[in-house]
Amino acid sequence: MSTNAPQQPAGDLGGPGPGVASGQSGDVLLTGANGGPASSLRRGRVLGGLALTLGLSLFLANGLLARAREERAVERAQRRAGVALLSLADVVQRAGGTGDGVRAAVKDWPLPAGASVRVIAFNGIRLEASTFPEDTGDKAAPRRLSRDEKPLYDRGQRLRAAVETNREEGGARKPEVESEARPSGGRLLSAPVEVDGTVVGAVEVATPPVPPVGRGGLAEALAAFLVPLGVCGGAGFLVRRQRVLAGVAAVLFVAGLGGYAVHSMRTLADELRGTQEAVGAELRERTTRAQALLAAHGLRTEPPLTPAAWDADSLRHPLGLLTDAGQPVEAMLATRVAQVRDEASRALGLLGVLGLALLLYVGLGGLHRTAATLKEHRQAYAYILPALVGMLLLVFFPFGYGIALSFTDANLYNTHQPLSELWVGLRNYVEILGDFQIARRAADGSLVFNYLNFYYTLFFTVVWTVTNVAIGVTVGLVLALALNVPNLRLRPVYRVVLILPWAMPNYITALIWKGMFHQQFGVVNQVIRMFGGQGVSWFDSPTTSFLTALATNGWLSFPFMMVVSLGALQSIPAEIYEAARVDGANRWQQFTAITLPALRPALVPAVILSVVWTFNMFNIIFLVTGGDPGNSTEILVTQAFKFAFQRYRYGYAAAYATIIFGILLLYSLVQNRVSRATEAA
Amino acid sequence: MALFSSRREGVPHLPLHVLLLGFTLFTLYPILWVVSLAFSGRQSLALSTLPESPTAMDRLRAVIPWPETWSLSNFTSVLTDQPFARWVLNSVIISTGTTVVGVFVACTAAYAFSRFKFPGQRAGLMAFLVSQMFPGTLMLIPLYIILVQWLGLGSSRLGLIIVYATTSIPFSVWMLKGYFDTIPKDLEEAALMEGASVSRIFWSIILPLAKPALSVTALFSFMTAWNEFILAATFMDQEAMYTAPVGLRFFVGGFSQQWGYFAAGAILVSVPVVVLFLFLQKYLVSGLTAGSVKG
Repeated sequence: MSTNAPQQPAGDLGGPGPGVASGQSGDVLLTGANGGPASSLRRGRVLGGLALTLGLSLFLANGLLARAREERAVERAQRRAGVALLSLADVVQRAGGTGDGVRAAVKDWPLPAGASVRVIAFNGIRLEASTFPEDTGDKAAPRRLSRDEKPLYDRGQRLRAAVETNREEGGARKPEVESEARPSGGRLLSAPVEVDGTVVGAVEVATPPVPPVGRGGLAEALAAFLVPLGVCGGAGFLVRRQRVLAGVAAVLFVAGLGGYAVHSMRTLADELRGTQEAVGAELRERTTRAQALLAAHGLRTEPPLTPAAWDADSLRHPLGLLTDAGQPVEAMLATRVAQVRDEASRALGLLGVLGLALLLYVGLGGLHRTAATLKEHRQAYAYILPALVGMLLLVFFPFGYGIALSFTDANLYNTHQPLSELWVGLRNYVEILGDFQIARRAADGSLVFNYLNFYYTLFFTVVWTVTNVAIGVTVGLVLALALNVPNLRLRPVYRVVLILPWAMPNYITALIWKGMFHQQFGVVNQVIRMFGGQGVSWFDSPTTSFLTALATNGWLSFPFMMVVSLGALQSIPAEIYEAARVDGANRWQQFTAITLPALRPALVPAVILSVVWTFNMFNIIFLVTGGDPGNSTEILVTQAFKFAFQRYRYGYAAAYATIIFGILLLYSLVQNRVSRATEAA
Repeated sequence: MALFSSRREGVPHLPLHVLLLGFTLFTLYPILWVVSLAFSGRQSLALSTLPESPTAMDRLRAVIPWPETWSLSNFTSVLTDQPFARWVLNSVIISTGTTVVGVFVACTAAYAFSRFKFPGQRAGLMAFLVSQMFPGTLMLIPLYIILVQWLGLGSSRLGLIIVYATTSIPFSVWMLKGYFDTIPKDLEEAALMEGASVSRIFWSIILPLAKPALSVTALFSFMTAWNEFILAATFMDQEAMYTAPVGLRFFVGGFSQQWGYFAAGAILVSVPVVVLFLFLQKYLVSGLTAGSVKG
């Protein structure tokens, strides 16, 4: 197989010197994978691999950079709009929320092209001032808000509620600046107007859409692509061994991508600095304007203006990135830059590792071998492909995703965020496995179990499994022995009827039994009353609740054991019993010496299977007891389900389910070892 | 009483019949109970209404699973007044879709596993087997996030079909591979000599020969999808898209107590599968135990 020997030393070629080698390289490139004699140095592979991986990585890195720049541009626009909003709100507050001062401030407030502002006063439900294009002519401010403008007033009231809540709680929980998308693509920001401690109105700024940022950085990406490629091409003439050449390519890949990463980070840092300067300039301009307005209209100048507070987040907490004079705070800026740098280097590092693996895979011939295998067995793979794709996407990927989820804090609200942002490490596992508060003493000295504790549920599950399997095996075996008696009349009838519980869908069985255990009308309690007893409220105590589930599961699980045992019993030849009788063995001796050993090969796998089924018997517990009372009759799988879909703690529930999987895995390993040992014995 | 006499020396048959009859009654009671609720024409859980001061006869009457009056009204109104017919239709569509997709995909894969030698063959088979061990709840959360929150396939038949079909693949593949292995290769070799292509052999020789195994596998896929509860209950939020199991739970879950509808619906849903099951159970037992012995 010439194709499988790419790592032979180049000396075999017998062609010394670069000239001959170059001829060879052309050959290889032209004839591709199948080409020629056992040539050892395949420059095409390395060059192609480098071109592929570096190209892909740079493309992705460029995309990431473009996205990051886009984010920066959006952030810049938002902060500028925020400054415009809060500075205007400040002036409006000093003007008392209504009156000529407010209108003058709004009229001349400097805004970027396409943006508009308005001021709403709660007193009289008025539009106090506005530069919105629709508020002209007969709709010009000041006027009363019309009925279809109710959302404006409501938004203002929402802000007032938020401010009051935050003040009462002494914290900041509700956003005091609202930002919502406009149909035209821009955003609408609203802030409250506070006069003497009460919110009397709202200021709103509508901004135009952020212009798209060009992709940019393409020239650098091209350079980072072509230079390493050229160097690698040159190195191809000097290097004789495939591995060395692949190593060179790897170094060049790292250099190329690393170079581009340095460029990206520098660009991002510049953008950040640019943002500070732009917002700072905005801040300075507004300060001048505000001071002019305060002076012209005789508005309150105490307390003095603090322009740095205008550059704030949605809770109106200053970001602290700028001073009152509009100069960047270097320390804060450095932290931001470091933060952005960290994010970028993590993403690019991952990209680099993946790219490097791909490069070595291609360069050392892995891709080539895989392709050859695929081609050789293409028919088999084609037949398997649909099943494989389905399984990968909907069984193996979710499985892996579920395990990844178990290391996060995912819940109903944050599943759209990447898992890396929700990562909590082993916290869920520690919380589940490290909680030994199974029970505590109540005031009157009785034990109170913590039914949500993992070990309690595990204990309950084990009890549930063991009792059910024991009942199933005993009943099934007894019935099978009875049915196996020769010449028994009505055997086919018994057999069909006794198998019915297995045939019924188990959710129906569960619901039927739940009905039969109903406290007031259920048949079970009617029977108890018929004999003069009192009806039991079955689902009010853990023990009786457990009994209902046990009865239900007992009813539906014995037929399986019965059928399996019956099959095994029928395969025992009658002659063996004859012979035993002739030897004088009594009935019990026959049972222990012949019947039980003959049953074992069928019964052992059936018990193994039945343990797993019962352990995972979701429907019965979920539909019959529902965990009542107070989660005391929950088994592990229903508990995990409830954590996920009633308490919406996806991450925690995934960890729970992973532990269940671990238990099952351990069980099957032990069971395998035990059955192998018994087979050997 | 020839029935209860022992034919020859050995076990006396009478106690056996007592035992078996006892268990038969225990087995039949819940079934008869649901039948009598269904035909009672009422929504109540009680088999009969007790008078103020019930006598022993009244008490006995209340536990005998035999309706006081026979009526089909529960059946007619569950199908017309309630959206149950629609839920059954959903179940039919989903189960049929699951069967068609699942069995087709599984039989091509099983054929490849049975007839070709290729790298990854053993690993693939083992992976399919191992995937059977993944607990449902572990799969449920990511599947819910992927299907409902990412792909927006909540409350859609397609979503459920895709999930059911893929989860049925491993069992079907193992079952069909076992059968394909028993078909002698001579036929295919002869066809190859005649110049038939692999796909032609598959379609016109193997599949017709494998009809019995295919139908058994198909029926099992159908039954599994027909009886599935948790996934359907989790994915189908809208009442119009419920499957029959979720719908039946809806009648008697929470605070609703429409036991008559539930009983009638339960009978309509379970009769076909019970019949199918009685017909198929010998394949199931051999398949399950064989699989676990090998595994």
